[in-house]
Order: sequence, then structure tokens, then C-alpha cells
Amino acid sequence: MLDFVIKRVIQVGIVVLLALTVVFFLIRLSGDPTPLFLPPDAPREQIDEYRSKLGFDRPLLVQYGEFMKNAVQGDFGNSLRSKEDALGMVLQRLPATFQLAISALVLSLLISIPLGVLSAFKRNSIFDRIAVALTVIGQAIPSFWFGLLLIFIFAAQLKVLPSGGGGSIVHMILPTLTLAAYSIARFTRFTRSTMLDVLRKDFIRTAKASGVPTPRLIARYALKNSLIPIITLVALDLGTLLGGAVITEVVFSWPGIGRLLLQSLLNRDFPIVLAGVFIIALIYAVINFVADLLYAFVNPQIRVR
Amino acid sequence: MKKGYFLAVLLVLSFVLAACTEGTAGDSESASDAKGEDGKQKDSIVIGFESDAATLIANSDVNYVTDAQIRSIYDPLIDRDGDTGEFVPVLAEEWENIDELTWRLKLKEGVKFHNGSDFNAEAAKFSIDYILDDANQSFYKSRWSDIKEVKVLSDYEVEIITSKPFPSLIERIADDLLIMDPVYVNDVGTEEASKKPVGTGPYEFVEWSRDNYLKLKAFEDYWAGPAKIKNVEFRYIPEFSTRLSAFVSGEIDMFKNVPVDSVEKIESDENSKIAETASARINYLALSTFSDGPMKDVKVRQAMNHAIDVDELLEAVLNGHGTKLTGPLSKINSGYTETDAYEYDPEKAKELLKEAGYDPESMELTLDTPNGRYPMDSQVAQAIAAQLQRIGITVNVQVNEWGAHLEKVRNREIKDMFILGWGPAFDAQSTIENLFTEAGPYSSFSEPGLEKKIYETNEMFDQDERYDGYAEIQKALVEQAAWVPLWQQSDMYAVRKDLDFKPKVDEKILPYEMSWEN
Repeated sequence: MLDFVIKRVIQVGIVVLLALTVVFFLIRLSGDPTPLFLPPDAPREQIDEYRSKLGFDRPLLVQYGEFMKNAVQGDFGNSLRSKEDALGMVLQRLPATFQLAISALVLSLLISIPLGVLSAFKRNSIFDRIAVALTVIGQAIPSFWFGLLLIFIFAAQLKVLPSGGGGSIVHMILPTLTLAAYSIARFTRFTRSTMLDVLRKDFIRTAKASGVPTPRLIARYALKNSLIPIITLVALDLGTLLGGAVITEVVFSWPGIGRLLLQSLLNRDFPIVLAGVFIIALIYAVINFVADLLYAFVNPQIRVR
Repeated sequence: MKKGYFLAVLLVLSFVLAACTEGTAGDSESASDAKGEDGKQKDSIVIGFESDAATLIANSDVNYVTDAQIRSIYDPLIDRDGDTGEFVPVLAEEWENIDELTWRLKLKEGVKFHNGSDFNAEAAKFSIDYILDDANQSFYKSRWSDIKEVKVLSDYEVEIITSKPFPSLIERIADDLLIMDPVYVNDVGTEEASKKPVGTGPYEFVEWSRDNYLKLKAFEDYWAGPAKIKNVEFRYIPEFSTRLSAFVSGEIDMFKNVPVDSVEKIESDENSKIAETASARINYLALSTFSDGPMKDVKVRQAMNHAIDVDELLEAVLNGHGTKLTGPLSKINSGYTETDAYEYDPEKAKELLKEAGYDPESMELTLDTPNGRYPMDSQVAQAIAAQLQRIGITVNVQVNEWGAHLEKVRNREIKDMFILGWGPAFDAQSTIENLFTEAGPYSSFSEPGLEKKIYETNEMFDQDERYDGYAEIQKALVEQAAWVPLWQQSDMYAVRKDLDFKPKVDEKILPYEMSWEN
């Protein structure tokens, strides 16, 4: 077990380092950030002076070496624009992003698992057909459009909910719905299909034949055996929810990491972008690691090697 | 099973609630809450902004969004009159030019900072020194590098010594400089002062939740009398459609930069209006003489001016929201002189091209444009391409992300033409010097004879002489068809109908000057 954990921790480290390396070189392709910060009438010598002060005039590999050296010590430098500690700025946004991602995840699970189970159990009924149709719509609707639609209806027309901003539960309703829409659809479809697979298995028939009551049959026999693939999916989606809620955060003015990252990318505030990528990659890798541990917990058949 | 499921739901719900009450994202109340039902107690205003301020310390970030927000917290020494563009005293009462290198400013007495300390000459010196100090990495520094020293003569008198003649110093003071409290900044350090600003302005700092809002309240001891609107909130809403919805639903009371295609929607709302002014920001089509293309030939540039119908662009693309520009400067600029516009005359354009040895039918040009930086910029580019097509020229429109566009312009990589804006500009010098010399790539036009004249004129200390010089330069630039002037942008604000607000040409949004009717 300890071997497994050590091995996985090393893997997490490698994943994060690789992600940082790729992003480091990719954002440099977008060009030099210095002119964006200085006034438009700044003469060329001033731009050059500033560029060398920020270190952007050095060879790329030297910059990379320097960045990595500091990054492994947790120092991502200061934001080019606000001069604040970049990692600090990202961490400051983390709770808001967590809040949104977790509420969206919880909402999706609360809706999708019962829905998927029932759908599978009452296969081909009207209920099942409606549920399947809804999941197709849920997966097809772009969150950008869905978010704006919700804002238009509930904020601009009905005036019952705020159009955005962070803070109270009221502010969370629309962004949570938007963010959860896709996951609900995905989880429901997935739960339904795994349940269908399991329900066809011999042991279910045996259990049914020996008179196990239906609720117990579903919960103890069928659902438990469908959980492993669902956990994988949830783990992957949680990573996406945490790192990829960019659109929802921007549409709803939610003060989270996604919005900060997008803005920093447009401003070419490299230190913030890299610090953000670091945090997201780390979260993603850690969640997957935890999911692997959970498999073993749910199904002792999966032995940890 | 039922019981188990119920328990699970309960558990999860309590988890959600726990996550919510962390107060992690701060707590913000909507404008309607703050204002009470139907705005009974109208002493608050919520202003929607596209993004957060970079920092709240003064004299650091040149970005408009930052400046607009901190200008209510800090006062300048000198300001500009919103209508005439003339200088008006604020914390400086008088200023005089002792000789070409020395300026003396007399400061206002009895002004207090929000924390109670006195405003004096030390504060003025500190604020200028702050820009000059390398450690602060101020983005303003490039504009102030000719300052040699700031001397405190007495409690309320400073002397500014420049290393070379700096005729536009007063402009710099008016446009850039805001006054900070040296005692406070030294006490708490710049990092803290960047988050909790102290100034002498009409509003004092209350709370700043990053990417969320900035709250200010009226400073009751303000030297010019306390503000009528007592509470100000800047709320950050990055997505335009959301900003518009927030305005329609009453969450915010105003926002700037209404796109021309949304004007009608706002005007049709009974509680809203559009406030519009011709801004000091100009948009133009630059014709690059920096690359070896047809634009090097003055006849081709003149042909472009004849082939592009600016009136049509204004009407068809901008719905009339813009003020036509005919020369290098807008009427707002000091030193502006009236120049003749090129008539729209496609036949003449074809003739000029033939004289220059080009067959329009076989000409292929590239037009670079940003997307969303200026009102309808990429649409304007498409329309220009269509107009040039009428005389047979094929134009490939290249749409760039803003940062990439700016870099292409700065690196002189643009082949033929590009769309760009400039401003807010009030003085002839900064526009002419930065746009029409070899050193400034923003119009990518320069001509050696004219360049010499520009530098000579800049150094002239006598204002009339200088303005005469700029008038000649403007005429020469039009003859040379240095660019295709388009228009002064229209600044459009969506505003609540009962808010007394007058837009300013310099884009400043000052709640101190606003009030609610009734």
C-alpha cells in the first residue's frame, strides 16, 4: 500500500511538472507582455528597459530554468500587473471556485443517480424516454448560452435572482445550475447504462429469484456494483469542474480561479497563469489519486498493487 | 432504504450549507437591497465595470479601469475642465514656470487625508518620487523620466526641476498624478496601501473583494464639501450580456461602453437612458509606410482617402455614434486646426492609383484589425474592405486578438493597413509626436522633413509659436495623407433615468459630481 502511495505521489509530481512546462512554453508563444502594461506613448528604450527588468529579454531556456527553480519552492513570482504574489492571488480565488464546483457536483449527484437508477430500472417506459431526452439536451446545451438564458429569465425579466457576483446562497443558484447541467446529463446517462449492464447479470437474477425486496436489490446489489465506473467519472468531472468552470465564472461574474486565469491570459500576466495552472493540475492529479484509493475501498477485489 | 437516502440527502445539504457560510467569496448585496424598495433612500450608486482594478495604490497602473476607480479616493494636484479641457486647480492652487527647467507649485492648505493627517508639500513630493522610484515599478515612469528633482520649499510649496525642457509637465500632472499620504504608505508598506488606500478624495475606502466589488463611502471632511451620493460600489461584471441584464434588472445603476447595437434596447426601457459624449479617443485606419508596400507612395495613400467613405461607415456600421475626424487631431485637442477632408471620390482614387503605377484590379492588400477593442472595430474593417472592393482592390481582413494586434503594430510587422485607436488625448504634442515620427509605430507613418519639424515644434516654449507649428504640421500630414482619419469615438453610458450624470470627455467617472434627482 505504501509503495502504491509513494509511486502515485511521484506520478502526481511528474504530471504537474509536465503541465507547467508545456504551459510555460505555450504562453510565451503569445508574445511579449511588456507593451501591454506600459502607456502607449512609452518610448522603445523604456519598453526595453522594462523588459529586461522583468527578465523577458533573456533566452527562453534560462527563463524556464529560473522559473522552475523558484516554482519548486512555491515561488511563482509577482503578478506583472498588480505586483501581488501570484500564487497568493490564485489561492485567494480557490475557495470561491471550490464552493461552486462542489455545490454543482452535489447537485448533479443528487439528481443524476436516482434518475439514472430509475431510468434503468423502468427501461423503455415514458419516464425513461423523457429522462434520456433531457440528458441529451443537457449535454448539448453550451453552458455559455444556458447561463445567459438563466440570467435573462431570472435576473432581467423576473428580477428574482441576482445576475452574478459572489457571496450568498442566492448568488450561487444560477451558476450552480449552469455548471451542473452538463454533469447531471452525463452522470445520468452513465448511471443508467452501467445499471443496465449490472441488472443483466446472473447474481441479480438469482437475488430476484430468492425474493430480495426491490429497494434492497437496487441499493445493495445493483447500485453498489455500478459505483466503480461512476466514481471514475465523478473524479474526472470534479477536476473539470474545479479547473474548467471558466465560462460559468465569467458569465456569472463569479470571483473564482477560472475567471482570474482567463483575464490573466488576455493580459498576459504570465506568473498568475502559471500559478493557476499549477494549482489546477495539482488538484486534478490529487483527485484522480484519491479516486484510485476509493476503488479499493468500494470493491476489495481491486487489490492495490 | 428510504431512510438511508433521506439521511444522505440531509448530509449532503448540510455540506452545501457549510460550504456557503464560509463567507469565502465575500458577501455582496444587490443594489436594490442597498437602496431599499424601489430606491426610496437614494444615496447609493452601483457602477458596473468590466474588470477589477489592478491595484488601489495611485500612480502605478495606467489602465483606464484602475484609474476610473481610484480617482474617487485620491485627488490630483491639477485637473482638466470636463468641457473645455483647460487646467483647473485642485490640490495645487497655482503653478508657474520659473525657467525652462523649473516649475513652482503652490498647494492648498487645510486639506486632510482620510486618516486625519495633513496634506502638504511632502505628500506631493512623495507621490512624484513614488513614480520615479524603480522599486515601485510604476508603469507611469516612462512619462516622467525627465524629472530631475522635486524640492519642498515650504509646507505648501514645491519646486519641480526637470533635466530638460518639459513643456507638457502640467499635462502630465493633470493626467497621471494622484496624491498619496507618505506617512501612511511608509507606515503600512506599499503592499498594504495597495489594498487599503488612503487619499484626500471625496470617497474613502470601505471594502475591496477581488473580482467582486469595491465599496466606498463619502468622506465627510472632504475639503470641497461632502458628496451627495454617500455610498459607491464598483461591481465587476466581465461579460457584457450579464452587465446589461444586471442593469436592466436594477442591480447596477450605470455602466460605460454600451455597444451601438444595444443602444435601442436601453433607450426603450422607461427607467434608463443613454448618456453620450464625443470622447478624446480617436479611431483611424493607418497606412504603413514602414514596410515596403504600395503605401509608401503618397498617391496610393491619397487614393485610399478618396476610396473610403467615412460618412457611410459612421451611418451604416456605427449607427451614427461617432464624430467624423478630418485630420490628425480631434477638436478636443489643444492646438487643433481645421483641415479639409478628402472627398469620397472612387473615380479620383482609381486615377491616383493609375498615376502611381498600380492597377486596382490586381491590387491585394491586408487590413489588420483588433476585435472588440474599439466600437465595432472588426465590422468597420470588413466595411472598409467592401468599399475598397468597389474600386477593384482585394482586401484581406486579418482579425487579431488585442494583445497580438498591439504587438504586431509595435514590432512593425503590419504590411499595409491597420485599425487602431489613440487617446484619451488632449494635447497636440503627445498625439503628433507618438504617431507621426519614426520612433512611434502607431500610425506607421513618418517623413524625414516633417519629423524634423515635429521635434523642433515640441521644444518651443512659447505656446502661440508652438500651436502655429502644430497647425502647419497638421496641414502637411493631411496633404501627405498620412492616414485615413475615421472618427472620435462616442462614449456611451447606460444610466438610470433619474441619475444626474454628465459624461466627461476624459472618460473619468466621478460619483462626486453625480446626484439623484428628487
